[in-house]
Amino acid sequence: MRKHAHEQSELPRKSSAFACLASAALAGLSLVTPAFGEGYRPPVVELEDYERVPLPTGFGVQQTDADGPVFTDARGMTLYSWPLELQRNGNAGEAPGRPGCDNTRYTVNEKLEGGPAGFILPEVDTRPSCIDLWPPVYADENAKPVGSFTVLARNDGRKQWAYNGYALYTSILDKKPGQVNGGASRTYYLTAHHSVPRKPVGPPPNVPPAFLVRTVATGRIILTRDGSSVYTFDRDGPGKSNCADACLAEWTPISAGSLTLPQGEWGVIERSPGVRQWTFRGEPLYTHNLDRRPGGLEGSDVPGWHNAYTQKNPDPPEEFTVQDTSIGQVLADRNGKTLYVYNCGESTPDQLACDHPTTTQVYRLTICGNFDATRCNRTWRYVPAPANAASRSLIWRAAWIDAETGRFVDEHASNALHIWTFRDRPIYTFALDARPGETRGDAWGEDHGARNGFVAFWLRDDFWGGAK
Amino acid sequence: MIMMKTILSCGIVLMAFGASHAQTTRQASSTAAELPAFVKDGRIGYVMTDRHWAVYQTEDSKAECPLGFNDSPDDRFKQLYSDEGKKYTVVDTLLKREGENWFPTNGPDSFAFKEAAGKIAIGMNLDGKAKDNDFTSPDGEQGIDNQLYRAIGCIQAYRVDGLDRVTINRSLLREPQDRILIEISGVDSLSNDDDVAVRSYRGLDPLRQNATGALPGGTQHIDERWGKFTQTTWKGRIVNGVLLTEPADWTIPDTRNNDATSSLTLKAYRFRLRLAPERAEGLMAGYVDIDEFVRHLNQVRSTFTQGVEHYAPSASFYRAMRRLADGYLDKTGEMTAVSSAFEVKFTQVYIVHPPAQAAARH
Repeated sequence: MRKHAHEQSELPRKSSAFACLASAALAGLSLVTPAFGEGYRPPVVELEDYERVPLPTGFGVQQTDADGPVFTDARGMTLYSWPLELQRNGNAGEAPGRPGCDNTRYTVNEKLEGGPAGFILPEVDTRPSCIDLWPPVYADENAKPVGSFTVLARNDGRKQWAYNGYALYTSILDKKPGQVNGGASRTYYLTAHHSVPRKPVGPPPNVPPAFLVRTVATGRIILTRDGSSVYTFDRDGPGKSNCADACLAEWTPISAGSLTLPQGEWGVIERSPGVRQWTFRGEPLYTHNLDRRPGGLEGSDVPGWHNAYTQKNPDPPEEFTVQDTSIGQVLADRNGKTLYVYNCGESTPDQLACDHPTTTQVYRLTICGNFDATRCNRTWRYVPAPANAASRSLIWRAAWIDAETGRFVDEHASNALHIWTFRDRPIYTFALDARPGETRGDAWGEDHGARNGFVAFWLRDDFWGGAK
Repeated sequence: MIMMKTILSCGIVLMAFGASHAQTTRQASSTAAELPAFVKDGRIGYVMTDRHWAVYQTEDSKAECPLGFNDSPDDRFKQLYSDEGKKYTVVDTLLKREGENWFPTNGPDSFAFKEAAGKIAIGMNLDGKAKDNDFTSPDGEQGIDNQLYRAIGCIQAYRVDGLDRVTINRSLLREPQDRILIEISGVDSLSNDDDVAVRSYRGLDPLRQNATGALPGGTQHIDERWGKFTQTTWKGRIVNGVLLTEPADWTIPDTRNNDATSSLTLKAYRFRLRLAPERAEGLMAGYVDIDEFVRHLNQVRSTFTQGVEHYAPSASFYRAMRRLADGYLDKTGEMTAVSSAFEVKFTQVYIVHPPAQAAARH
């Protein structure tokens, strides 16, 4: 199977305005127009609405390509937290109320992931500290809590903003509003054995209590509170369900209680006297009786049926394709070769990432070519971008890289290669993948590719959540 | 006109075949009463519930491993990097080991790899010959090809109480992505039938099981959406209750409890299974590509896991495999694969083939 990636993505089939009008008319309520942050607007049809929470002065909310709305500082930069997670030997990250990212320069590795410890770290003389890469969001001495934003005392004596108890930071990898280059709200690996990532922080999505929003590979997907995927049907009319009789053997309308009130883009229709059904943007909502696991995408295989999203991700570069594999779908290049992302995090208390062209390259060189850059470039190939490559989103970007050093360079540099990047990091193909849909490079590297290695660019899996 | 005649002619032949086939079917149905209830329309399905690399071992291991077992990757690391007072770097130790594991070579090795000794091994005679380096099976069959046994026989992870088989089997029982089905069709008798076909699938449903393991009588739907990579057909026959097939290449899912999406390609694999209505067990044997075997191992068992589960150092294991290679010459004259065998067990299931409409969706 070969589809162009932009064909695969499911753009909504009805306009947002039309859907909202229908929803509001049926609900008998006035329209609630989402108010979005200033700055970058992701190039997608629909944006996710969110709860308006009280913000400290200067803070804002910014829409992003793949992480929904995020909080920003006064410069419009994305805010992150670093929630505590379990490692094989102990924890890493921060507990609520306990900011731990400081100016310590670690020189040796730790045994957090179980391997031998006490070995001198790569490029130790120039290794940054945590706050070199993650500037804390400092608060004034007299700052007072605002809603779920609180003020913490750091060990260095300064005050720092926190949200839901977790200290807030910005990332030096973010250069403009809307970028989320420091971390992501979803993971790009299957296994639990990864470094503890920083995650963007944002307001709750504006969804009724019966629903959840989860970040998956293709966007912000809507689930019921118990984790079932939510679907819409092409043959439904605005605010009218046409799924009846035999259709109901495979699909279950999501019922709304008799006291349920419409909320923003969410409405309620009456299927039959006394039987009410939720709608989103005017479209009646269903679950798929044959989905085998929570969060499944299996129902979207049925012609005319689609998973519901609050916001879909921007399309990848036009030349990319989507390929079927042994467990689901991957993003692939124009020839159908699976694309891969590289993950890397150091086994240190500060869990600094080593997956970006600005970080040490020795980890990547080890895994992609046993320290040999030529073998690296032969085995794990950068994905070339056309000379006129352009992206309307921030998450996909064409950049120039020196294939020998792995560093971003000026386009006029002698070894400069024009390549595609995702989240400001190169993507790759793998030399041993001979046919479309092969993923022989998936889980290549330390800890199944999660700690220092490569994993396939999963768009969907039907078995265990690799594309969650 | 000629084409029309050909079509008509073919039609007549097909009609004749149809009539003959119907007669055969009627004859078969007259014997159907002798077939167990699990055989429906000449088909019986099984789900794999146990699979491990065939390792012959004695109680005290002295016969097959007179030098003891191989050191684990953790043992080896300590031997190399534990000089008192010496400062080691991540690059020269941990990363060096990773680089060697992912890009193993056939060069010299300071690690003293311990191969299994002796002449007895479990497996099948793959080439019909009895060569000097072949084994004899425990029940006396000559010409057994299983050089993989030489490589893994003295690695603790692969032995009876080792964790390789534990992780494979836990995944077989729990994880639908690793669910392997075989269906034997054209079955007139489970005792003797000179023409049956075997086809493999991935199943999607949880196993019917209790505390003692999988139970017969379960139902498995075929994964037609993503599972086509593991669908293979073998020609076979049943002789005195034993299914024997011709060889065929087969890619099996082997993700080991969600740690990787990796699968393993088996070359020229064939079955020798003793059939019973509720169970089937025996051997699968053929060749495995050495590069793929080691890559797959590294993907499903991380370096850390290989250490704690007592595998051997991956790069040294690769060299041993290359020394023992006995199949699939490449252009340079090097053997690229090694003979191998799995011991396997299956439990009967009813296999549900998807309706044409559902298959057409994809």
